[in-house]
Amino acid sequence: MAATHHVIVGNSIAGMEAAIALRARDADARITVVSAEHPHLFARTALMYVFCGQLSLRDTEPYDQGLYARLRFTRVHDRVTAVDPAARTLTLASGPPLRYDTLLLAVGSVGRPLPSAPDEGPGVHRFVTLPDLEKLDRETKPGQSVAVIGGGLIGVEVAEILHLRGLHVHFLVREPWYFPVALDEAEAAVVATHIRAHGVDVRLGETVSAMVRGGVAGGPPPAPGARFTLTVGGAPLEVDHVVAAIGVVPNTAFLRDAVPLADSGAIEVDDALRTRVPGVWAAGDCANVTWVDGSRRPEQLWYTARDQGRAAARSMLGDDVTYRRGTWYNSAKFFDIEYTTAGFIPYPANPAPGWVAPGFRTWFQHVPGTAVTQRIVCKGDRVVGFNALGSRWDHTVFLRWIHERRSLAFVLDHMREASFDEEFMPPFRVLPTATVTEG
Amino acid sequence: MQSGLLTTYRSPIRTRNALAWLVSAALFAFYLLLYLPGSAYTPNFPDVLSPIASALRLPSKWFLYGGLYSLGMVVGGWFMLRKHGNSRYHRLRTYTVVAVQVVLAFSLPLVLNVLGRPEYYFSYVWPLSYDKLFPDTLAKMPVYVALYFIVASLVAFPLLAYYKGKRFYCSWICGCGGLAETFGDPWRHLSDKSDKAWRFEQVSVHTVLALILVTTGLTIAKAAGAAEDGAIHVAANHATSAYGFFIGALFSGVLGVGLYPLMGTRVWCRYGCPMAAMLGIVQKFGRFRITVKKDMCISCGNCSTYCEMGIDVRAYAMGNQDIKRASCVGCGMCAHVCPRGVLKLETRADAGPGGAVQVWTVDL
Repeated sequence: MAATHHVIVGNSIAGMEAAIALRARDADARITVVSAEHPHLFARTALMYVFCGQLSLRDTEPYDQGLYARLRFTRVHDRVTAVDPAARTLTLASGPPLRYDTLLLAVGSVGRPLPSAPDEGPGVHRFVTLPDLEKLDRETKPGQSVAVIGGGLIGVEVAEILHLRGLHVHFLVREPWYFPVALDEAEAAVVATHIRAHGVDVRLGETVSAMVRGGVAGGPPPAPGARFTLTVGGAPLEVDHVVAAIGVVPNTAFLRDAVPLADSGAIEVDDALRTRVPGVWAAGDCANVTWVDGSRRPEQLWYTARDQGRAAARSMLGDDVTYRRGTWYNSAKFFDIEYTTAGFIPYPANPAPGWVAPGFRTWFQHVPGTAVTQRIVCKGDRVVGFNALGSRWDHTVFLRWIHERRSLAFVLDHMREASFDEEFMPPFRVLPTATVTEG
Repeated sequence: MQSGLLTTYRSPIRTRNALAWLVSAALFAFYLLLYLPGSAYTPNFPDVLSPIASALRLPSKWFLYGGLYSLGMVVGGWFMLRKHGNSRYHRLRTYTVVAVQVVLAFSLPLVLNVLGRPEYYFSYVWPLSYDKLFPDTLAKMPVYVALYFIVASLVAFPLLAYYKGKRFYCSWICGCGGLAETFGDPWRHLSDKSDKAWRFEQVSVHTVLALILVTTGLTIAKAAGAAEDGAIHVAANHATSAYGFFIGALFSGVLGVGLYPLMGTRVWCRYGCPMAAMLGIVQKFGRFRITVKKDMCISCGNCSTYCEMGIDVRAYAMGNQDIKRASCVGCGMCAHVCPRGVLKLETRADAGPGGAVQVWTVDL
């Protein structure tokens, strides 16, 4: 009997971790990795560091390049244009068709295009893939101006690196405060103050209603060199570049009807990461998975992509797999401010000034003169979630306290045990200015 | 915690370009001019530094060297703190290591020399300062100074390494480490991260440790009454001068600093230093480790890239595995440049809280 041929489409963390896990269990299988983006796994999370020269692209590759040969992965540097699940065959853009026995789709996401953008030509950017990075690097020059549209994690990273390059950055956030799915009004104010102190024009609660190349139709002629005129909150804004940072969409357009997709474009999978088509699995942020709250969404996180890749590999080998991530935890960075979150942090469906999480009790403090804040969310007296800016925390301690159903008083007494700061940093203290808000 | 982004690869001198080779050549030339004249193997090499030193009214070329070295550390430290000085750990570490150089490794010996007393460099002990346990050397010292070097070398420094990690020496006291951390900071990312380099390092650094153990043993045997013209006596003399020239001068000086712009800043510390090797063995059994925050690593590679010892920190972070490596000098840069705060330098006796808790749902 011929060895099983596992084909993995996508060479990022989900695909590679799956390939490694497959090889660990099946020494004889043929394993083929198809990717058009880059011949080696690189950390997409590090694109901003490559842009500003803090890392080379090679530095972002987690595994040495010899790994592919050592684990006998066949690499196909090509783009998959169609999947025929009945014939178990992939059509490639330039190479011959590829037969598979099992197929893992780990195709990731692409930046969501701006609905208002006039086109995808020069000066219109996204920042999710290597081609996005190359285009941004090629076209942006010091002294130019840019509108970064979208108040999330990609937006703040692009704002930071373009500011570092010497562009005048207008950071346009539709919501009344920055990143309302994660930060409350007070936390977001700390972040916005910090970003403004760097010299970035942060505009909150402003929508882009129109965008044209050159001047406004029927309006005065544009300033020399200005390539776009945006209408922001009713007023014109002239910029050289526009970056769409309004989230990502699953990179699944090429699948068309080959496997069932959710409305978002994400590939529908069950708890074993199987699609509804025999022989086809999906993992990473292209897969629509069930969250602990019962909702179905893709998980757009690095560590979940890794875990999904490994779980998919076991599932492909016939194990009885139930993929469950568990309670939310994550970290991020807004310019110099580090952010850690764990547990349940309520957020408003429609953020409005003065919003208080209904049904929750919120403890909050902001260390004066710093960007250090802590927010502890409680249900009654029981702690259910943590949000921290500007200092480092071990989220696994937070999770344990949540699991142990600890009270707010207990947690405040023991907070120092969860500190993950560098040595010599000032220790956690409960300040007299700390507030408790009942929602 | 790292303030602002770095632009390492946009700076030509930091990317092994022609200018970097030129700087490397200049450093090589300087160190050859410093070490070759009057050495046991090249006694007739022209000495150009001594006349410069006497023109500057310095007692010897070694004080010219010490002055330039201190200057390099002060200026380099200032630039280093412009990048990383928002961290209190790096401020304290940099102030300390620069102060040790300026006070203990330059000013105090200069004062002692001016006073007509023998010079002592109290920040360098055996086996880095390789002759400090040679009976000949100890015999020439006042008793309390000899006692200091014996206790520091064999008891105090290893104990500190056990409790605090070898970083207390390599990143807070040592002049070699101090130059690397300050003047050398722009080149720290050039260290070789390959497995091959790791295997080479393990062999080479322990070989040098073995060499100094043998050499020291021979000098003790010699002092214990070996015959004046016996084999041990001759071997001890040969070993001492060979170690001093090939390891002390050529490896730690010429190669160690000369290769900064091409191979990163810790070439000597990593591949050669017997002190680093000895304290590394202690560290392996000691309390110091770098703990990793579960699942928060985004694989970006900043930690590995900026590790001057060539440790693939990211591999541990991605695997949720605490880092306990003999070579780690505890500079703390991996933790500092990590954009997700995943790494922490720890010396706690217990394993610490946290770990394997998995909460499937938050009960609301």
